[in-house]
Amino acid sequence: VLVPSERFGELDVDDDNVLSFLDGLLGFPDARRFAMVDAGDDQTYFWLQSIDDPSLAFLSVVPWAFFPDYEPVIDDVEQSALGLERAEDAMVLCLLSVQRDTDKITANLLGPLIVNANTRRGRQVVLAESGYPVRAPLVA
Amino acid sequence: MLVLTRRANQSIIIGRNGEIKITVLEVRGDQVRIGITAPREVAVHREEVFAEIQRENQAASGVAPSVAGKLPRPPAPPLRS
Repeated sequence: VLVPSERFGELDVDDDNVLSFLDGLLGFPDARRFAMVDAGDDQTYFWLQSIDDPSLAFLSVVPWAFFPDYEPVIDDVEQSALGLERAEDAMVLCLLSVQRDTDKITANLLGPLIVNANTRRGRQVVLAESGYPVRAPLVA
Repeated sequence: MLVLTRRANQSIIIGRNGEIKITVLEVRGDQVRIGITAPREVAVHREEVFAEIQRENQAASGVAPSVAGKLPRPPAPPLRS
């Protein structure tokens, strides 16, 4: 599919790299489809460009590259909503932001995006009891 | 806002078919334990956690493309994805 985007011009994205979030993301209920584009060609960082809104894009990271002990636990309700049966089928991405004061890049470990790799359907899951931070600095 | 008074073990039903049920489980001092039954498509969050993630998503939506050029390399390749 061809995806218009304000930041990247027109993107040509394989259907396999289109993720759908039926509930959108928290605060972005209408952002339901995203094109996933590798930001560095090494499967660590991905841009998520909204297909419905050319001006909306998020940068995300595969959390285990920086947080090897990260263990998001997804409850039954989320699992069945995603149709997830095995942990191996889950793809996990954490959204990144840049802190204005320090210029540090942080990852949201509290509200990861969990995607069923088979169906490409995902949800932003809130790990309320986990104690994971919403802004965890990426340390190389 | 609709205001209702409920005691422990009393509930409030929301929705035409009573899809959502909120039960006061226990009242102790200034804390109230609440049980919520809702269809799985209804997301239930503590307000402060919900607001925190909403704010963070808002901040994340403003990342400039140039940031991709200065991302730290991971200490080790990702083990899983």
